Amino acid sequence: MTERPAVTIDNLSRHFDSFKAVDGISLEVTSGETFGFLGANGAGKTTTIRMLCGLLAPTSGSGTVAGFDIYRQAEEIKKSIGYMSQKFSLYPDLTGKENLSFYGAAYGMNGSSIASRTEELAERLDLHDFIDRPTRSLPVGWRQRLALGVSLLHRPRILFLDEPTSGVDPVFRRKFWKILYELAEEGVTVFVTTHYMDEAEYCGRISIMHQGKIVEVGQPFELIQKHRAENLEELFINLINGREAANAEA
Amino acid sequence: MSEAFRGLVRKEFIQVFRDRNMLRIVFAVPIIQLLLFGYVVKLEVKNIRTDVYDFDQTRLSREFVNSTSAGGYFLPTPAETPLLNLESSFQRGSRDMALIIPDGFGKELESRGNITIGLVADGSDANMTAIGTGYMTRMAQKYARDVVGMRMPLNVKYNVLYNPEAESVYFMVPGIVATLLTMVTMMLTAMAIVRERESGTLEQLLVTPISPYTLLAGKVFPFAILGLFEISLALVVGVLWFDIPFVGSPLLLFALSALYLLTTLGMGLFFSTVTSTQQQAMFFAWFFSVFAILTSGFFTPIFNMPQWLQYVTYINPMRFFMNIVRGIMMKGAGLMELLPDIYTLVIFGLVVFTFSAVRFSKRAS
Amino acid sequence: MLKLRFLAHKEFRHILRDPRSLAIVVVMPIMMTFLYGYAISLDVENIMIGVVDYDNTPESRQLIDHFYGSAYFSKPDASPVDGDPERILLSSEAKAVLIIRSGFARALHERSDFSLGMMVDGSDNTVAAAVQNYSSAIVSKFALDQLPVDIEIPGITISTQVLYNPDLKSSHFFVPGLVAIILMMISALLTSITIAREKETGTMEQLLTAPVTPVQIIIGKIAPYIGLALLDGILVLVFAKIIFKVPFVGSYMLLLLFGLVYVSAALSIGILISSLVKTQQVAMMSALVATLLPSVMLSGLIFAIRNMPPVLQGLAHIVPAKYFVTIIRGIMLKGAGLQTLALNGLALLALMGVLMAIAAKKFNTRID
Repeated sequence: MTERPAVTIDNLSRHFDSFKAVDGISLEVTSGETFGFLGANGAGKTTTIRMLCGLLAPTSGSGTVAGFDIYRQAEEIKKSIGYMSQKFSLYPDLTGKENLSFYGAAYGMNGSSIASRTEELAERLDLHDFIDRPTRSLPVGWRQRLALGVSLLHRPRILFLDEPTSGVDPVFRRKFWKILYELAEEGVTVFVTTHYMDEAEYCGRISIMHQGKIVEVGQPFELIQKHRAENLEELFINLINGREAANAEA
Repeated sequence: MSEAFRGLVRKEFIQVFRDRNMLRIVFAVPIIQLLLFGYVVKLEVKNIRTDVYDFDQTRLSREFVNSTSAGGYFLPTPAETPLLNLESSFQRGSRDMALIIPDGFGKELESRGNITIGLVADGSDANMTAIGTGYMTRMAQKYARDVVGMRMPLNVKYNVLYNPEAESVYFMVPGIVATLLTMVTMMLTAMAIVRERESGTLEQLLVTPISPYTLLAGKVFPFAILGLFEISLALVVGVLWFDIPFVGSPLLLFALSALYLLTTLGMGLFFSTVTSTQQQAMFFAWFFSVFAILTSGFFTPIFNMPQWLQYVTYINPMRFFMNIVRGIMMKGAGLMELLPDIYTLVIFGLVVFTFSAVRFSKRAS
Repeated sequence: MLKLRFLAHKEFRHILRDPRSLAIVVVMPIMMTFLYGYAISLDVENIMIGVVDYDNTPESRQLIDHFYGSAYFSKPDASPVDGDPERILLSSEAKAVLIIRSGFARALHERSDFSLGMMVDGSDNTVAAAVQNYSSAIVSKFALDQLPVDIEIPGITISTQVLYNPDLKSSHFFVPGLVAIILMMISALLTSITIAREKETGTMEQLLTAPVTPVQIIIGKIAPYIGLALLDGILVLVFAKIIFKVPFVGSYMLLLLFGLVYVSAALSIGILISSLVKTQQVAMMSALVATLLPSVMLSGLIFAIRNMPPVLQGLAHIVPAKYFVTIIRGIMLKGAGLQTLALNGLALLALMGVLMAIAAKKFNTRID
């Protein structure tokens, strides 16, 4: 594992008209880290991820992903990242295999490397049973497994996952995290947002975002101690509520 | 790069052929349109349903009534409603005209005199009335001359080129070809892109290293192929089923269709950038098609439109393509005769496609 | 009743909140009225006709003046190329070329037979027919004018009486019929889409779990569309009156009555479609094919039913728009009353009954 940071963000902002979706955040994620990007609904997590993946231009501030500048080197960034959005992003009328080989082609992979990589991922993610069925007919959990497969096809060094496990049963969530751990051990940086606090505890470090700002960063255990909370859930609720109260007074 | 393009095209075709509705649009719509338009769109005035009130009842009056059915313009039948009530069959919409022959018609004619007969027309159908009364006037004059054996010293010899059999369908099929190419390519392109945006796959595509221009080419190319396939289908059905002649060069037609596709695909792209659901995209494309069809000269000549509307037709690219298709298929026109239309389409294609492509890739990056 | 009002209210908000569907409801009728009123004019005038005059005498020039002096023909921008008159037809700069051989004036004075030549672009057969009709009329009038006055010409004069539309305006014919199309679009197309949308988003299931019966849901959903359809119908009529000066001779009440019957038939088709399909897209395609296409093509709106092959004439009998187009033209232009329109009205009523019955049956069995 190298020391070079996978993601750096410096004073990054994104405004929609007068609404500050992301308001001057700074952050650094090291390579091989599993980073939990937490926050309430509408806190600005998805906007941040979209800026890092080159889907949305920032209003101000700077950032790098895999050492590439998010303004000027979007193409290089796209080659080195995998992205899985909270929205179901597979073609419903194509089979799993067809989806995988299409996205493989989109990454410029040739036929034989797509085939071998598909086989590898099918093994690893347990896709064999349903890989030949149209994805529209699959239950949510299976689709998410396929979507993860799509984002891993080109062996990305950094993986952005936006609520990958929402709507998925606990058994599969466990499995999903096991795969993420394995990836981290292989040196892949995992940048993940989630609403499940038990999942957040699996992360090496977490940040908590509120109304466009990052209010806390650190290791889950450290943060729990620092704020004298019972667990992450309590910490999260206290932090958010505290902020809201402060806002109300101001 | 080329892998990505090939992947996009392959995927698009899989999607078209797996979607039963898409298949219906691609295969059934052209054939239905062709048959329906081929049989229905007849603007020549024929079979005018005419009530005959013959108060003369002589040999000459009957002969005259019979003579009006020549050429298929009139369908004279003895009137069933009394004369005072003749309007009611117009109001019901069951008759178009009434011919009234007064007593003494035959006698007057034999004595080389001048006789007046009555013709009442349901004027609500303006075109039928204008043309029908004209026909009747000429038929009556000719009949009167024939009765006394008089011959006109001056006549006109017509040499009708291109469609001497005066078949409507020969005129309509080239028009349908132009219409189909416009509607299908524009609508499918717009919908295919909007569908990706609706389902979130566009976002997934945008985090891949595909450049916006490859993405654009990959989305547009399959529909260009489908469009050319559509017109081939329409042409084959037109030639085999309706026996339409194809005078000019098919190669030239396909080449110029490809040129025209630049405009229609560009329009499709443009619609995809201003709509967010497939339904809206379809409505937009459909609206534009109605406008384009009605102002293209498809079934009403442009020179009949009011002057201001004639100017409006110049912003309708289909107008120029319509002229090209008809010119090649019916008249055997070549490059030289079509040059002005071709130049116009080149300009249209470059402007529309570039504008839309820039808009599309701006939104995509 | 309260539930119904609530459902209808919700539907109205859906329509008003989406600017695009609002555009469909308001802009479409206006645009279609303009296009149908102006673009679909079937009277053929100002046909470009080129002349090659080899005679070049005062008489031949007089004949040419007769041609260009009529409203039917006008001079093209380009002149026919000497020796290749077809050129101007190929490039579509003219529709016909009149060719006057030399000897025309002499023949006229000697009263010997003479043939003028005319090359006609036959590709548009209606224009070609008009060229032949008008030109032969002009030529025979010219020939008769040259005859000495003392020659007795026998003849049949026709006294023509044009009813209802004496100025022969195409727009008077097309614009009233347009109401049939607009009503069909709003009633069948929009309703089928809106019900399909509720199915797609799952809100239909939600509604069905509420204590409302399917019939109430349907009535609540379609009531706003009836209102919109009538509004659009009135909009077209107002436009027809103001812009195209289309007269309204008959009874407003009678038109409203038949309008409601027609709208009910159209709504039944919309509901029927929506109970058979699952997605908005399919609903839209089916509605276009099942309602709009026959309403435009087989109703006699533009294309005369009497000229169609028998199969299509038979098919036209089950197209509601066919009856409504006849009815609205009868009432607006001809002042037809209930008695004259009885047959058309009964046919429309019968169609409505059948469609409603089928729609109700299908809807009830499919929905739960």
